[in-house]
Amino acid sequence: MRLLVVEDEPLLREQLAQRLRAAGYAVDTAVDGEEGLYFGREYPVDLAVIDLGLPKLPGIDLIQRLRAEDKRFPILILTARGRWQDKVLGLEAGADDYLVKPFEMEELLARVAALLRRAAGFARPVLCFGPISLDTRSQQVQIDGRPLELTAFEYRLLEYLMFHPGEVISKATLTEHLYQEDQDRDSNTIEVFIGRLRKKLDPDNRLQPIETLRGRGYRFALAPPK
Amino acid sequence: MTAPIGEAAGSRREVVSLNRRLLVVAAVVLVAFLGLTGSILDNAFRQSLEQAQQDRLQGTLYTILAAADLTASGLRLPDALPDSRLSTPGSGLYARVIDEHGEIWRSPSLLGLPWEPEQRLAPGDTRFQRELAGDQPLYTLAYGLSWEDAGGKEWTLTVHVAEDLTSYQAQLSAFRRSLWGWLGAASAVLLATQLLVLRWSLLPLRRVAADLRAIEEGRAELLHGRYPAEILGLTQGLNALLSSERRRARRYQETLANLAHSLKTPLAVLRGALDRLPEAPPEALEQIARIDAAVDYQLRRAAAAAPETLAAPLPVKPVLERLLQTLRKAYPDKTLDCELRSSGEPVFYGSEGDLMELLGNLLDNAFKWGRQRLRVSITPLAAGPGGRRGLRLEVEDDGPGIRPEQAQLVLERGRRADEQVPGHGIGLAVVAELVSAFQGTIAVDRGELGGALFRIELPAA
Repeated sequence: MRLLVVEDEPLLREQLAQRLRAAGYAVDTAVDGEEGLYFGREYPVDLAVIDLGLPKLPGIDLIQRLRAEDKRFPILILTARGRWQDKVLGLEAGADDYLVKPFEMEELLARVAALLRRAAGFARPVLCFGPISLDTRSQQVQIDGRPLELTAFEYRLLEYLMFHPGEVISKATLTEHLYQEDQDRDSNTIEVFIGRLRKKLDPDNRLQPIETLRGRGYRFALAPPK
Repeated sequence: MTAPIGEAAGSRREVVSLNRRLLVVAAVVLVAFLGLTGSILDNAFRQSLEQAQQDRLQGTLYTILAAADLTASGLRLPDALPDSRLSTPGSGLYARVIDEHGEIWRSPSLLGLPWEPEQRLAPGDTRFQRELAGDQPLYTLAYGLSWEDAGGKEWTLTVHVAEDLTSYQAQLSAFRRSLWGWLGAASAVLLATQLLVLRWSLLPLRRVAADLRAIEEGRAELLHGRYPAEILGLTQGLNALLSSERRRARRYQETLANLAHSLKTPLAVLRGALDRLPEAPPEALEQIARIDAAVDYQLRRAAAAAPETLAAPLPVKPVLERLLQTLRKAYPDKTLDCELRSSGEPVFYGSEGDLMELLGNLLDNAFKWGRQRLRVSITPLAAGPGGRRGLRLEVEDDGPGIRPEQAQLVLERGRRADEQVPGHGIGLAVVAELVSAFQGTIAVDRGELGGALFRIELPAA
């Protein structure tokens, strides 16, 4: 999942980026509203965290511009004032949730996870595909009730595939949404991660949850929850 | 549980309107002036009528003397008298001549009239007066003269002539009719003119009132009309006051926003830094929470604009709708059945920000604690002397409710923000603060739905 963080205070921006990266997200940061607008337009953003008190282009205006350009990714606003008018205006401009500063990072992570899940069309926090269940709150994956040890990146990779069940997802798309800008973007490494994920999910090659479509990409093949 | 604050006291004395003052004074002056003029004219005309009467009687007297013949046996007049009225009984014109011993001639018109003047005047004297003959008022003229008859005898005569008031009164009443008719018409025209002048002169003031109403209703920002020099100072002053007030309010809100941003962001950084420690010191986290709560409470309290003198009536329902949409978005996993009870089109006299703060915090509380149901009741109350109606807002949920001993703590305003009841943020304290700024009351109860029921009443004005 590729996240955009627009926050003018450098320390807070860095903290947010670090914490989100540690949770396995690919994070881009923008220092003001204009830069935020640029990233929002040009990058395949899955969710944006936007501070309302931004220089150059205020947060509310940034959200309105993004929505006017038909950018539909969820937006979480950070506001310094807990005033209801600010919250209402923010959500009316097109944001999906708000968080009042100062906030606990855990709270932020939970809100981000919930927004991403809902944007993918899942109303419940736990996704169940056959024997595989993925809990977006605890970021735990279980197979037949057995917890599975995944790295943060592996978790995001599986989550991305499970958020798009039955869809063919190219390596390029996975790279775009999961890799940090400065990381090695060799698409071959995706193959390596997919291979590891398959081994962990399906050690005896019985479920085959992730299909490979030659030259086109991957597909999460288990039946979606009913 | 209830915190009643203040009471708008004040007796209003009815003040006479400018219009009425000017009209009353104009009417009194007009009546006094025209009345005086009328009575002076009336008097002058009566005097001139009497003078004319005297002249006429004098003329009659001379024609009688000219026609008379004095002999030793007495005064003799031709059968055909110079004025035919003297021959006709009851005609209104009478004459009588007396000497030292008594009457020597009387006009035939005197037949039946009890008028026997006995007054004798020295030769050359005249006397004009008004007297009564029986019940008939007469103007009389007496004239004394001495006359030598053909025999050389000296007679001392007094001639009395009289005329009744018929002609005098006819002329006088005709004059009075036209005099008072014209004066009345003139006053009516003058008063009507005065009324028009007044309306025209007071028009700018009425325009000021209309402009103020437009500002109140949010249709205008400033007084826009062009005003005459006399009230230009007032309207310009008002405009300056309005715009400086608006600028001040905007600057104030901006300052608060900046202050919030520059206090809260470092707190967020601090909090984030502590989060990264393997084991964050709990007292540090607690202190941050305290600073945060204090800053939040004070800023939101400061941002509460409180009742505005020129506040447009703000319909409550649209604001409520917007808040509910926001909350549904913010609590996507809560599907509360929200019931709205309201009558008419309730309005709030204050800023949108304040209304959102009042309702938002109560609704947020209900969303937080409610299980399935939420009820909002909006009731307009009776209007006050200024025409502004009071407002009752009730928000009720089916959550666990608030225990009576907690209710006090939750609402008590002015409490240190770091002593809030756990689970109830500073939102409710902010609500209590706002309610007191509006001189209203707030109470917490157990509602029909089983959970907490918050009732706010804002007074009429």
